[in-house]
Amino acid sequence: MQRREVLHLLGAAAVPALALAPGRLHALGAAVARRVAHAPPTGFFSETEFRTVDQVAELILPRTDTPGARDAGVARFIEVIVAEWDTDAERAAFMRGLADVDARSRSVAGRTFLELDAGQQHRVLSALEAEARTAPAAPAPFFRRMKHLTLFGYYSSEAGIREELGEVFMPGRFEGDAPLRTRHGGR
Amino acid sequence: MAVRYDAIVVGSGISGGWAAKELTEKGLRTLVLEAGRPISPAADYTMHVQPWEVRFRGMGDRAALEREQPMQRTCYACDEWSHQFFVNDREHPYSTAEGSRFSWIRGRQVGGRSIVWGRQVYRWSDLDFEANARDGHGVDWPIRYADIAPWYDYVERHIGVSGDAEGLAQLPDGQFQPGMPMTIAERHVREGLLRRYGGERVLTIGRCAVLTRQLGERAPCAYCGVCERGCSTFSYFNSVHVTLPAAARTGRLTLRPYSVVHSVIHDRRTGRAKGVRVIDARTREVLEFEARVVFLCASTLESTRILLNSRSEQWPAGLANSSGVLGKYLMDHWMGAGASGVVRGFEDRTTTGARPNGIYLARFRNVASASKEFLRGYAYQGGGYRAGWGRGNAMPGFGAGLKEALRTPGPWQMQLYGFGECLPYESNRVELDPELRDAWGVPALRIHCAFGANERAAMQDAATEAAEMLAAAGVQNVRPFLEDNPPGLTIHEMGTARMGRDPRTSVLNGWNQSWDVPNLFITDGACMTSSANQNPSITYMALTARAVDHAVHLMKRREL
Repeated sequence: MQRREVLHLLGAAAVPALALAPGRLHALGAAVARRVAHAPPTGFFSETEFRTVDQVAELILPRTDTPGARDAGVARFIEVIVAEWDTDAERAAFMRGLADVDARSRSVAGRTFLELDAGQQHRVLSALEAEARTAPAAPAPFFRRMKHLTLFGYYSSEAGIREELGEVFMPGRFEGDAPLRTRHGGR
Repeated sequence: MAVRYDAIVVGSGISGGWAAKELTEKGLRTLVLEAGRPISPAADYTMHVQPWEVRFRGMGDRAALEREQPMQRTCYACDEWSHQFFVNDREHPYSTAEGSRFSWIRGRQVGGRSIVWGRQVYRWSDLDFEANARDGHGVDWPIRYADIAPWYDYVERHIGVSGDAEGLAQLPDGQFQPGMPMTIAERHVREGLLRRYGGERVLTIGRCAVLTRQLGERAPCAYCGVCERGCSTFSYFNSVHVTLPAAARTGRLTLRPYSVVHSVIHDRRTGRAKGVRVIDARTREVLEFEARVVFLCASTLESTRILLNSRSEQWPAGLANSSGVLGKYLMDHWMGAGASGVVRGFEDRTTTGARPNGIYLARFRNVASASKEFLRGYAYQGGGYRAGWGRGNAMPGFGAGLKEALRTPGPWQMQLYGFGECLPYESNRVELDPELRDAWGVPALRIHCAFGANERAAMQDAATEAAEMLAAAGVQNVRPFLEDNPPGLTIHEMGTARMGRDPRTSVLNGWNQSWDVPNLFITDGACMTSSANQNPSITYMALTARAVDHAVHLMKRREL
């Protein structure tokens, strides 16, 4: 009763009463944001760039008994951030770092990063990480940025939140002192 | 020809919603003017939109935010889901004087900022109402706790407040639903403080306007933790869920959105407010509405701006300003002095669900005995949770090992984040900017504001004491912090049309009634005479209900 009054009051009288069930509210309220979220891919990365980002992300958070970065679509998220969210300077730094991954692969093994075997790829990333550890806070070195974006993209994905962390939206209660289950215990 | 009502309420937020409910329920045909657009839970609430369903995973469209909402986006709640509940800064400019900083966070829509408010509600006590009289800063409040206590009761029962009674004189208990659970880390710190400081320093669960039990048709909180996106179960209080529907049920409410109030119309012959002048936000048409009584509830600075803009030959410095203090004694709580650390142990325990609330550590400074370093006090909000995946950024390595480590939550972390009282300074003030206008041609405000030495001393103390308390409770790796937030960003702006006992030094009497214009009431944060350290909204609501009761009483006796 109250919801109907509210909708009427707020000038949304055109919304039928059926829409007042929580499930329908969900559907209507989400529509706009979801349209934006599912806009077509930017096509900003070349195919090789995309696959390189995808492979680096997968090496940072690989598929194990749960989905990895590739399953979670992390490279697609990173492409949106680099293409549409970054400043020009941040974008340029990311693309330089991405090119540098291939340059290092060539100097180590004479091949592109994607052509290296798993062990070689791991060594290239390990070297980048070691350098990033001693680099200043800003500007963030490529590996640090890539790791941050991978973690952020993965743990904000459906696979990361629901499958990896086992989080439930609107659980209906809050517990401040619950047993930690070894598989899906996290907040 | 102006349309006549019994009452006009300017604003539909926390205060305006309450004025509308009380006026209509007492039989008055009431017009509520809201500058912003209507919203509907169905079309505008985004609580069910998951992070992977928004393009920037919550960070928002950075370029658009920087272009349209560079100030609003500095508020924690103005993100990819809820930025539509904050104004466009380009349409709503203001200026700050040299040497001043002020972050003015605003919401123009039906419900105002009650859609995105922080929901923390704490009663004031006589420690607060007597503060100005005790140390001589500002004028004395014309009311005491006994005057407002029954109205706190009344408001709390309607909005629904969850919390635990603690029996503290400086933080009176109220009409509480059961408090939300504390985490094991929070309980650990609470107990450590009780051992070390006895009942002098009490850490309790936050008192919040979020239900833990059914209230009417509003469901208890489902713990999704994202109230500022709107709530489809109506579990937290806002005008749209509670007060405006109550007003609408009387059949005496007219709600007019897109109504930018330009000024109050003063009748020189009667000495009273005749009504208000409105600019239709969409058509730019200028309209006039008349009523027997006018309630300004447009928010602290907007209500004062309307009065400053209601200039006339008789009122060259703004309407209802015979005292000359209109616009002066602006306050906001300082925030961001405290400490954090790691609570060792309890590794087999964790939390489930997202609690839209934290802990509260009640004021202890200048309660029983006076501090030498500063006047007034502060309190902490905060919480104790296990660290999440974000710690992975600082962990070495990558690959399956990192992923496995992040699957289990990290150590318990505890934070105390201080909020403190700001003294009323005459120099903290607003005036009309001589040139700047908003998108509707209404003169914009020029704000002079800075925290003073007393606030800085209190912040230092809050950081030091937070670190000492955490250490005393056995917390490890304790790190104090001292942020430098501009006034305004706490979004507890208060004052500029203060209540008082003397018409020569205050704008409003003890009933929120203008000394100069008897049928004009201001019941939002503009009326505040001091700032205390508690989140102020509950006090605006209680003062509003009390002021309406008084106004209607005067009208019935034909004294108004």
